[in-house]
Amino acid sequence: MTTNRTGFPVRHYSSYRRQMKWLLVSPLLVFFLIFFVIPVGLLFASSFNPQIIGQVGFTSELTLDNYTRFFSRSNYMAAAGRSVLLAGVVSLITLIIAYPMAFVIAKTEHPGRNTFLLIIVLAAMQLDMVIRLYGMMVILGDNGLINQALRLVGLIQAETSVRLMYNFGGVVAGLVQFALPFMILTLVGVIRGIDPSLEEAARSLGAKRWRAFVRVILPASMPGILAGSLLVFALSISSYIVPALMGGFRVGVLPIHIFQQVAESARFQFGASIAFILFLLSAGAVLVYLHVGSRRSGGLA
Amino acid sequence: MSFVEFHRVSKTFGKTVAVEELNFAVEQGEFFSLLGPSGCGKTTTLRMLAGFLTPTTGRIKVHGRDITDLPPEARGIGIVFQNYAIFPHMNVYDNIAFGLIERGEKKAEIRRKVGEALEQVGLAGYESRFERELSGGQKQRVALARVLVVEPEILLLDEPLSALDKKMREEMKYWIKDIQKSVGISTIYVTHDQSEALTMSDRIAVMNAGRMLQIGTPVEIYENPVSRFIAEFIGDSNLLAGRILSMDGTACQIDLGGNAVVPSRIPSNAKVAVGDSIGLLLRPEVLRLTPSDEGETPYLSGEVIDEIYQGSLRRYRVRAGIHEVTAEIPNRPELARLEPGDKVDLYWNSESGAVVP
Repeated sequence: MTTNRTGFPVRHYSSYRRQMKWLLVSPLLVFFLIFFVIPVGLLFASSFNPQIIGQVGFTSELTLDNYTRFFSRSNYMAAAGRSVLLAGVVSLITLIIAYPMAFVIAKTEHPGRNTFLLIIVLAAMQLDMVIRLYGMMVILGDNGLINQALRLVGLIQAETSVRLMYNFGGVVAGLVQFALPFMILTLVGVIRGIDPSLEEAARSLGAKRWRAFVRVILPASMPGILAGSLLVFALSISSYIVPALMGGFRVGVLPIHIFQQVAESARFQFGASIAFILFLLSAGAVLVYLHVGSRRSGGLA
Repeated sequence: MSFVEFHRVSKTFGKTVAVEELNFAVEQGEFFSLLGPSGCGKTTTLRMLAGFLTPTTGRIKVHGRDITDLPPEARGIGIVFQNYAIFPHMNVYDNIAFGLIERGEKKAEIRRKVGEALEQVGLAGYESRFERELSGGQKQRVALARVLVVEPEILLLDEPLSALDKKMREEMKYWIKDIQKSVGISTIYVTHDQSEALTMSDRIAVMNAGRMLQIGTPVEIYENPVSRFIAEFIGDSNLLAGRILSMDGTACQIDLGGNAVVPSRIPSNAKVAVGDSIGLLLRPEVLRLTPSDEGETPYLSGEVIDEIYQGSLRRYRVRAGIHEVTAEIPNRPELARLEPGDKVDLYWNSESGAVVP
């Protein structure tokens, strides 16, 4: 910093601007630091401490025992695979259900109808997740509406039921229900941003409606498809409440194991190591998506 | 039978009438412009021909075949959009190959045709570029190559120059016209820029408020406009209010008020009679200005209000009685330089004025 003749420091405009920017993001940085970086950092750090039941804080004693334990037990490895599979399946199903709806919303120009459609999508988000899941149990449970109806029409015998929840499918249903609004909102923004003359150009060049969709509209929505899938993948792989309620602890994904280690056995260090592995899986998915995205969309993503 | 025919075509959006009772025909190989201010219905007309909009009433025919209800892909009509609509996820090669692939052509054939098309628009070597790596003029060339490569019967151009800067616009104007001529494709060009329409077109249709007001060659449109709107929309104009005193074939005498009676020409397409209130159209470039008191009886006399120097010419605003006229005088040393306040006489060749109903 230079000084002028009166001895006061002279700030250059660009350095002033840089300071201003830091000032504007500082509330977020402080919040992020106190409520995310420090606790998560300590948690991850403690995953390198020896497992001592009941001990919470970080100590200076370092070991890889927790990770050795994780990778030497097949049930934990299976849980990791199940988590990735679950998040992948949920992303795919959510995308397939969400895309047509998002397309309709994006192509609806009438402002009233548009608002109405968005309200339908957002209505689901107005209720707490737990309440929504109990709502699904009323339908999918062993004595739920579907099973009662099946018994009534005689498709299954009395006193028996079809397993619609407390299994992998039930968890998928719950997560899809939870993730749909996120996917739809992401897709609507991207589809709406696609220049309508792209489709018209394709049509006048001889492409039928569905060919124009496959060759032009779908690739042009790729950034939205990737962003939405990524969001849903991250939400699904880290969800605890949905596997807990819809899976009844019978679908052993990583968050369930973390809960069991920490809340039931007070094994904080081992729980922390599972959490760290979960984090790496999620971050790895982001990298894969970004790589695919930059190739598929010609760098548009 | 003309190549493209519009039969009483109207299009309404809810209660808004976009175009009304369009009747016109475009000949094979012709460069036909739809010219008008924004919102006049010219783009609606183009989109109906392309198949993106269906007329509310009326029929559209190409080669005598009714195409009104055909989808865009079955029409054999190519279109270049204002923003070019280059597919952003495809490189230049794939953009141009798009239509050929849809037609199921063989790979080798596609390669040859795309190569020729790139050669034609001067973009050989740009095959692997993406839209974001192209300038405005290059995008336009790609858009045109992409359309021409599938050899459509009709080429539609929707304000293709409006996104370019002035210099590029001038260049592309002649380039597009050259390509159109060498390919010999029937072309319909939508623009709000009268100078583009005058420069490029074989014929121009002037539109306003959903109606077609006049169809004619650039010369007819410029020299014999059938309405005051057209006279003022095309080029610079002096439109002097007057009344027809007498008529003799295509010649007439016009009372401009204040004892000024001047001769003029009545264009064959102007339906007027003695006693009618009309506009006398005098283009700024047909007027001759001389300092007063040179013997001859002038058509009008007045006083210079101001001069605007424009390099190749000088523009004078002159107050002549109740009229104010603008005259453009070539910037030549032998023509007297006038100052504001100078008394001047105005002359013109009686053939160069036109009566506008």
